[in-house]
Amino acid sequence: MDLNRYFLIFLAAFLIQNILLIRFIALCSFFGISTSVETSVGMSLAVIFVMMVSSTLTWALWNFVLEPLGIGEFLYIPSFILVIAAFVQLEELFIKKTAPALYKAMGIYLPLITTNCAVLAAATEVAKPGFIKLSVAYHYTLPEAWVYTFGVALGYSAALLVFATLRERIDIAPVPPAMKGYPIAFITASLMSLALTGFAGLFGV
Amino acid sequence: MNGLTGEFARGVVRENPLLRLMIGLCSALAVSVKLESSLFMSLAVIFVLTMSNIVISALRRVTPENIRIPIFIVVVSSFTTIVDLVLRAYFPAIYSRLGVWIPLIVVNCIILGRAEAYAYKNNIIRSAMDGLGMGLGYTLVLLIMGFVRELIGTGAITLLGATLIHMGSRFEAPILAISFPGAFLAFGLLMGLLNKLEQRQRRAK
Repeated sequence: MDLNRYFLIFLAAFLIQNILLIRFIALCSFFGISTSVETSVGMSLAVIFVMMVSSTLTWALWNFVLEPLGIGEFLYIPSFILVIAAFVQLEELFIKKTAPALYKAMGIYLPLITTNCAVLAAATEVAKPGFIKLSVAYHYTLPEAWVYTFGVALGYSAALLVFATLRERIDIAPVPPAMKGYPIAFITASLMSLALTGFAGLFGV
Repeated sequence: MNGLTGEFARGVVRENPLLRLMIGLCSALAVSVKLESSLFMSLAVIFVLTMSNIVISALRRVTPENIRIPIFIVVVSSFTTIVDLVLRAYFPAIYSRLGVWIPLIVVNCIILGRAEAYAYKNNIIRSAMDGLGMGLGYTLVLLIMGFVRELIGTGAITLLGATLIHMGSRFEAPILAISFPGAFLAFGLLMGLLNKLEQRQRRAK
């Protein structure tokens, strides 16, 4: 058990290589969902949950099926996205039956997650490391894959929540008319991203 | 014939996927660091978008509505795999720079969005024109962003190993333009500029 390594993987995924602000993955949902804090919380919960399961599935698929058969290079894109799409669909049915309250809270976000690039990116990274150029790992064991995915999902949630809070404030700020709405939101995101670039190079990540 | 040019032109300006529909943002911000990577990414997106629009439109009568999304995804991921393998074989340097963004074309909202909103409901020729127009709209924004960011951020424009423009050695390039925050900033300003122009046009009328 090398706790150091787990810590490094988590920190890199969560902060240094923050999936939204540094890697630019899943920006559509970032700008689309962050109009209110409430929807951001719902989306974050759904993303954390879906990511953890889909990364486990693709990790297993790659290590036990695609890689041993030598067909991974050709089939990883279609097979991973199908696994994610199928899982999201299943999960939607399952939650609807077993936890109606939870379904109400995050129901509408579930179908959207299929096309959330963060899920596919994290799921591919744990199977084929080096994908997002995260230099700490060359091969993930299953617990490491979990730590990595959890870090990515948490980083996504944190950035989304902070940004949603900021946007609620910007809505009432005096902004030149041409910059109202999305343009000023992008500039806000730029400043947030600038703050995070400060962590680049920490621990050589 | 007039209708067809309309399909084509719509994606370029009025319904520009990036600036107007706000979809497909992730890849656009990430690859627009250099003119060259913008160019190749655009070509990849135009190819996948047009081809998958054609195939989805051709299959629209035999596609059951309930499972249309998985079918779209399979079509799109097949074309993405073709691009992935071709780029890796013939342009390894560019492939390594675009990296994660090639497989992520699968979940690029522009492609699934056009499949769902357009190609599934219209005939093959119209869908092909729609794909080309949307692709060109994406390309236009990407080239502007890539050109401005590379010129300001590095002080020179290089394309396929040849230096096209050089600002001279006295120009001290601000690294902000090619860093991550610079992408958000440039995009926000571009949108603001477009809004400003539109306001002026409206006032002139």
